[in-house]
Amino acid sequence: MSSRRHFLVSGLGLPVIASASRSASPEPQTPRTPSSGPVFQYRTLGKTGLKVTAVGFGCMITSDGSVVERAADLGITYFDTARGYQGGNNERMVGAALKKKRNAITLSSKTHSKTKEEALQHIDISLRELGTDHLDIWYLHNKTSPADITDDLIEAQQIAKKAGKIRFAGVSTHKGQAELIPFLAKHPQIDVILSAYNFTLEPAVAAAIEQAAAAGKGVVGMKVMAGGFRTVKPDDPAYAKLHRDGGLLAALKWVLHNPNIGTTIPSMTDNEQLDENLKAMAQPFGPAEEKILAERLERIAPLYCRTCGRCDGMCRQGLPVSDVLRILTYADGYGQFALGRERFRELAPAHAGVRCGSCPGCTVECPYGVRVAQRVARAQELFA
Amino acid sequence: MMRLVCGLVLSLAACGVLAAADEAPVPACNLVPGWSQAGPARTYVSDNLFEYMDGNAEGYLIYGFLKMQGVTCKKGDVTFVIDLSDFGDADLAYGMFTSNVDGRQPTQKIGANGQIVPRRAFFVKGRYFLEIAANPEGDYTSVLKEWTAALDKVVPGSTELPPALAWFPAEQRQSLRLVPESVLGLRVLKRGYAAQYDYGKAFVVLEATPQSAASVMEQLRKRFGATTPTAIGDEAFQATDQYLGRLCVFRKGRYVGGYAISQAGTDPVPLSKTLAEKVPTTN
Repeated sequence: MSSRRHFLVSGLGLPVIASASRSASPEPQTPRTPSSGPVFQYRTLGKTGLKVTAVGFGCMITSDGSVVERAADLGITYFDTARGYQGGNNERMVGAALKKKRNAITLSSKTHSKTKEEALQHIDISLRELGTDHLDIWYLHNKTSPADITDDLIEAQQIAKKAGKIRFAGVSTHKGQAELIPFLAKHPQIDVILSAYNFTLEPAVAAAIEQAAAAGKGVVGMKVMAGGFRTVKPDDPAYAKLHRDGGLLAALKWVLHNPNIGTTIPSMTDNEQLDENLKAMAQPFGPAEEKILAERLERIAPLYCRTCGRCDGMCRQGLPVSDVLRILTYADGYGQFALGRERFRELAPAHAGVRCGSCPGCTVECPYGVRVAQRVARAQELFA
Repeated sequence: MMRLVCGLVLSLAACGVLAAADEAPVPACNLVPGWSQAGPARTYVSDNLFEYMDGNAEGYLIYGFLKMQGVTCKKGDVTFVIDLSDFGDADLAYGMFTSNVDGRQPTQKIGANGQIVPRRAFFVKGRYFLEIAANPEGDYTSVLKEWTAALDKVVPGSTELPPALAWFPAEQRQSLRLVPESVLGLRVLKRGYAAQYDYGKAFVVLEATPQSAASVMEQLRKRFGATTPTAIGDEAFQATDQYLGRLCVFRKGRYVGGYAISQAGTDPVPLSKTLAEKVPTTN
């Protein structure tokens, strides 16, 4: 057990260990303490030179423009939205909230378009809805592999750049980072990478981010509170504890702990969340946060598949283990038994017919401690 | 005894039929002649919605998204991506609709309410929210009308609008939406309707009991500091906030509502009085 705990805590320390190997690490500035109000930490987004607060503002689910306006007044300088959020209503709200502060902040939006023509229409609509003549960063949204970064889309960004509609070109990615980020790190026309990054992701993501930062790319962290947190529902006894013990703030601090992260865009619904998140810049990630996150990982580890794929090929009967674990989550984690069964039935007959109980012992070892044999056997018991 | 068992069996069977009738079918491409299905049908739940729309899934989850069933239909070079989402209750589904609707464009009576723009159509009906996205670029308004009319017939659910919509005046209104959490950006106002006007905002939140609504009022008073009592409903106060403007907040039974006025010369008190009169009396 002690070695398991050691592993988890070591894993949490990864960004620091990784950064220590880089002589050119952009060191975060010492927090600035104004005479009153929140403490701010500023960082630079790679070679763009954009200096932003380490905690930015993800506007996607913000309930009211007054929260965005207040965040800008308090001193947050990076705000992120997207063309597709709320059918365009989000850009409109953000634009109205930031109209008095436009020149003092860094503003980004995104297009989910897959063609140059549509992307160029999107930038014009984004500018109109946001009430500005330029975006500081314009992301190609939700890309998962190098093949998604088409010449057409890069050309659209370059056209927009030359026209003065955007200052910098970016790509956002939620998965596939281990392959995509190194590709983007070498891409001469990409200035900023917006990536999902949190304490539950596999270490390869931190390594890819380090590579991008070393190449001078600005790196922005999103999903920083970890999707894993969302899986704890309000009726779960762990929910209140999670919110009470500072787990969410600890998760944000963990991300800021990595000097390769230029800024973060936690989604903020209300003023209370804003006030909470601002604390992450004033208080460093320390042993208390390590403990909170290690406990969290410890709790979810036997059940939580991170879909790192390292179990592929380990099963002597050829089972696609990570697929089966994901399918089980539908029933066990989310009460969607029918969907789980439906997906289980889509497995190849040879796989659907496997019974773990007939094996002399499981050959699959999860590096993150998922009890694979037990979980897969449960899936077979439920769905087969 | 036999009759009782039969009655029970029949009742359960009837319930099953009713449950099935309330369950929306997967949209079918042959609903409109000339269209065929491209690729397999899709099903997503809250756990894996991000696999389909990473980067936008949160916008669904915040409205209590439960399940999406979708299909892509094709006619010639044109594809319609059709997705039907279940939000569990009509208020939340309507909330999803209000978060997507463009207040500057007209809405249509499709289901409970709908909107069609050249490449997109969506409507809400009961607990369901249906969307169609058209590709490639073009004006598909007339085909989208045909599709939404056909889909309206197969999607179950009420076509009634939430009663709360009628409480908010329509003049100078830019938007009216269900805010799923933190109305006016305040966590204490958990979930409710909020309208944006040229001169400010109006809101109504329903609490579980009059006592919990009174507790919300108390927390708001503490938050805003200097407040002045006002005679509206069961209790009311006025206050000023740097970001929300001049406020008048009232409680009427389980409801907490009011106005936040940003425009000089507009008084939130008479507006709040009128709003309170429209809000039903509850215990």
